[in-house]
Amino acid sequence: MTTPPTLNDVLANSSLIVTCGPGGVGKTTTAAALAIAAARMGRRVVVVTVDPARRLADALGLDMESRAHEPHQVHEVTEGPGSLSALMLDAETTFDRLITERAGDPERAAAVLANPVYRSLAGSLGGAQEYMAIERLHQLHSSGAYDLVVIDTPPSRHAIDLLEAPDRLVTFLSHPIYRVLTLPSRSFAKVTNAGSSAFLWLVRKLAGPKIVEDTIEFFRSLATMEEGLRTRAAEVSVLLRDKQTAFILVSSPRAEAIAESTHLVNALRDGGFRLGGVVVNLVHPLPPPAEAFFNLAPGPLADHVAYHAELFALATSERSEMAELMALAKGAAEAELPLLDGDIHDVAGLTELAEMLVNP
Amino acid sequence: MDPGALRSLTPTWVGNASVTVVAGKGGVGSSTVAAALALVAARQGADVLLVAVDGRPGLGPLLGGKPIGPDERVLRAFNRKGRIRGRTIPPAQAFSDYLELKGISGLLRKAASAASLDVIAAATPGLEHLLVLGKIKELDREKVADLIIVDAPPAGLAAPFLRSASALQAVVASGPIRTQADEVAAMLADPRRCQGLLVTLAEETPVNEVVELAYDLEEKIGLTLGPLVVNACWPDRPGLHMSPTAAARAQGVKLSRAAKAALDVSGEFGRKRLEGQSLQLNRLSELLPLSRVILPRVPTARFGPAELDLLADALSVEPVAAR
Repeated sequence: MTTPPTLNDVLANSSLIVTCGPGGVGKTTTAAALAIAAARMGRRVVVVTVDPARRLADALGLDMESRAHEPHQVHEVTEGPGSLSALMLDAETTFDRLITERAGDPERAAAVLANPVYRSLAGSLGGAQEYMAIERLHQLHSSGAYDLVVIDTPPSRHAIDLLEAPDRLVTFLSHPIYRVLTLPSRSFAKVTNAGSSAFLWLVRKLAGPKIVEDTIEFFRSLATMEEGLRTRAAEVSVLLRDKQTAFILVSSPRAEAIAESTHLVNALRDGGFRLGGVVVNLVHPLPPPAEAFFNLAPGPLADHVAYHAELFALATSERSEMAELMALAKGAAEAELPLLDGDIHDVAGLTELAEMLVNP
Repeated sequence: MDPGALRSLTPTWVGNASVTVVAGKGGVGSSTVAAALALVAARQGADVLLVAVDGRPGLGPLLGGKPIGPDERVLRAFNRKGRIRGRTIPPAQAFSDYLELKGISGLLRKAASAASLDVIAAATPGLEHLLVLGKIKELDREKVADLIIVDAPPAGLAAPFLRSASALQAVVASGPIRTQADEVAAMLADPRRCQGLLVTLAEETPVNEVVELAYDLEEKIGLTLGPLVVNACWPDRPGLHMSPTAAARAQGVKLSRAAKAALDVSGEFGRKRLEGQSLQLNRLSELLPLSRVILPRVPTARFGPAELDLLADALSVEPVAAR
């Protein structure tokens, strides 16, 4: 019988770790703690966070807007050979960079970047943030500057949007409407003049002529970048399924979170992604059972007894929810983190959490 | 229920508007609160439509019915015509309903389906959210229910969802989409038609986030906010501030060694939680001038209809006025 791997093994052997899970479970904090644990093992680590809570951002030195979007070293993490860098994901900036890289010449890039449709698209296109998360991880992973990239995924209802993002982009680019919109200008003009593009007619009718012009221009500038975008999407798709890539699911022990996590475990398996570990965060402590007190009058001891009963019931119920998830995630490393008294706001707090993850 | 009887609901804030949007960040229990609110109104005879924007699968069973889908279904019925119906609004369906409503047919309708909403939505950001809100606005205009309760998308999506109309107003200058955006924005800003019910926990990050969300919604879209719902609060137990040994002595009871060990663990944890909780409740009073309703922490990780009844009871109490 082989023993299941520990989080130590996963942190030591992966070059890319993707944390995923339902919203509100402390995913970003856990990602940062995992990154610190790996740095303390001597690895050069970069952690990419999405929308961190203010105090966590402070802890990682991401409080300065100006430098938050580029990797910078987090100090006082380790005295060993390892290191930790952190950055905050900004979908818009990453999208801009992608366009600039792929556009070929600066003038074309400038035209796209100034386009109003692009401007609103970059921040809000369905899946744009997810796509940009993986675009960024590709850049960092291939830069050679890090042994391990830890990336936190955007909070997402079904949490699989990220995994589908590269494929969705390719689907988007292959759409017949997109084909029409990216025809060379002369035949394109003919299409629109002839009014045979019902799509544009519809958009014009619904949203007015200005947005049609902007849309056409945007899609046409994008056309020259299509090949590059496709290649990148395919590369990322392969990278996410690499044997050195591990997904770490972060959940809370509440039934709704467990239900979403269960869904996610299945989606990962179906998609051919490797689930390296499961971390259940925000777990209430289970006190030892107490004997019954009969005919206890109201008073301070009655408060203690009532509270004990509630905490015991809650903690027991959480453990039974967790058992279901752990059974499904068999073969992945497991860890549990307690519900803490307050938010983590410094490297010392994250380091404590890191210790709990690797030395359960 | 008689017309205007929305006004007779208690507590009064429940009937202040015909649409109540329940919103909060992920993990604070806003869907559960939306279901509990539906229960509060329907128990008093109101005909309630619960719209789960993101289609949270467990919401129907929580109310004792089947899972909620795009087809409206009755989840629970009460005396005096009170009932809760539930449905989701998939953007694609809202789009097709919208085209029908606008009398767009034939070639254009075909174009719309061929192009698929994805591509059109890409050209018009925020459109999917707007279509869903637009559908809610239509349902309200048609008076399909006494009260429409909207379970807004969770995590970081509540604000973009509610801001979609004003965002589109900035991009689209004319045409039916602009009209739709204007009408939705008008509904959101009209206190008789729409109110927001924000849900949070008495913990540091949820408090910070709800404060930000509240100001964002009030300033940017003019949404009137109902009381703030603080979910999952431990009841105050002053005895926890004493050690179990001292508490036992005070009540003339001698603790066994096992009981002392058990109560030491729970008492220590409980005291810290209560201290943290009161700290965060104080911060909320300082930061947000909203009246508030405190919901108890129900001691289970899995909610069922019985637990939901408890929450509905707690939600039925008049809110505590802001300091």
